[in-house]
Amino acid sequence: MSSVASPQAPPKPDWSRLVADSIKQHGLWHTFHKLIEARAAYPDDLSLRGYAEILRNNIVRDFVAHPKGMQAVPKLTADFLTNFDRFNLSAQEGYLVSLIDGRMDIQKLLILSPFDPFTTLFTLAKLQNERAISVPQ
Amino acid sequence: MTEPHYPISEYLKTPIAIVGSRGEIHWHNRSFYNAFGNDAAHWLQQAARAVGGERGWLEDFFVPGDDTRSIDVDFEGRTYRIDKVRDVDEYENAVALLFEDVTVQREMEQAKSDFTAQIVHDLRGPLSGIQGTLEFVLSQEGNKIDSLYTDLLQEAQRESERMMNLINELLDFSKIQSGSFTVETEPVRVAGLLKRAVRSLQSVAARDEVFLLSAYGRDIPQIIGSVEKLTQAVINLISNSLKFTPKKGLISVGAQIVRNGDVPESIVITVTDSGMGIKAAELQKIWEKYKQSATKSIRGGSGTGLGLYIVRQIVEAHGGEVTVASVEGVGTSMVLKLPVKRVTNNSGSFAALAP
Repeated sequence: MSSVASPQAPPKPDWSRLVADSIKQHGLWHTFHKLIEARAAYPDDLSLRGYAEILRNNIVRDFVAHPKGMQAVPKLTADFLTNFDRFNLSAQEGYLVSLIDGRMDIQKLLILSPFDPFTTLFTLAKLQNERAISVPQ
Repeated sequence: MTEPHYPISEYLKTPIAIVGSRGEIHWHNRSFYNAFGNDAAHWLQQAARAVGGERGWLEDFFVPGDDTRSIDVDFEGRTYRIDKVRDVDEYENAVALLFEDVTVQREMEQAKSDFTAQIVHDLRGPLSGIQGTLEFVLSQEGNKIDSLYTDLLQEAQRESERMMNLINELLDFSKIQSGSFTVETEPVRVAGLLKRAVRSLQSVAARDEVFLLSAYGRDIPQIIGSVEKLTQAVINLISNSLKFTPKKGLISVGAQIVRNGDVPESIVITVTDSGMGIKAAELQKIWEKYKQSATKSIRGGSGTGLGLYIVRQIVEAHGGEVTVASVEGVGTSMVLKLPVKRVTNNSGSFAALAP
């Protein structure tokens, strides 16, 4: 039998417990960023992709849990309008920001966005988390 | 050819042989000779060759690190389940193989499978009729049915859907068991199949007040496989998530490309929910047949415990792998990894994977 583990492969952490603890202590966004960092150390760990997806899924779920739901209207923040170069947006984020006019609701943004619905909502949630946009109640 | 240093194996009733990677037989016991005679040498040499781009089944026993390979092979009207016992160091690149005659066992499995398939087929007909009738009654605009009866009819519709899912799972399971659940080798547009799977359950998700969202772009490359089976695998996963995701929850169906440099190597499909999650101790058991999470479904009713087992069989027959990530109280993600270029397999069917 020759099933010997690769000497370079670090032991697989108990992601389920680590993620649960991290969410409790540091919240969804911090845990999500840590998981993305961990993917570099464990590139072949398929379950790690799943844990990152669980985080993304919950972030989007929280975003659409807004009292107005898909009818909520995102607005650019004053901070973004005065210091937009500080935000270092990706091309995807920049495109979505260009659609936000303070009148269009999330439903319409989803229709106009060239990205898939989940990615669009996740990007909006990220912009909200970074305080580039706000979604007033 | 017979050598004196494997005395116990010599008298075993199961045929055993030490075979080299080119099909040469270094040693065999008496049962092997009784079963295959002198034809075995030619047969194994044929099995070691690649024909028309398809590698011979014998090569599968020489994959480094894979010590659990088991393949069913037909030889002169009989079926042999060939298991790798171990690598044999005395010879260069040789393995000890066990040739178990499973012909009778396969015939019995086939008979059982045919019987199940017939029963399932007979059940599906009337059930389709019930579903069609319920759908027609409930879709009539301005119908004057009392709201109490509407609720009851909707409940009947939900239960009939559940029963249809159970029946379909039984049918697939019987096909897997009999080895007749073959995988086609057609180009599969992954984005298209995900779209179809999401669409087919969008109305169920809306009824259950669960968001069901697509999370993939249009640039997902094609793979080779079965559109029908892979769509079914994704539908099974979404259906499973729907059972455990509460109202206002979210299910996302995503696909990511794993690249080796610039070349797409595999596609990772994820079905992720914000449901109740699975206990860590149960995580690896969920892909086994008849295993169900101890977590109770939100919408009541239990399944056959075959849904995820069928998903695993479908993905592995495509040369892929499955795993699950879950955090209790936060959610679960089912992860399927499929090679962009399918790993060629001699049988191309589930026969090689059937237990």
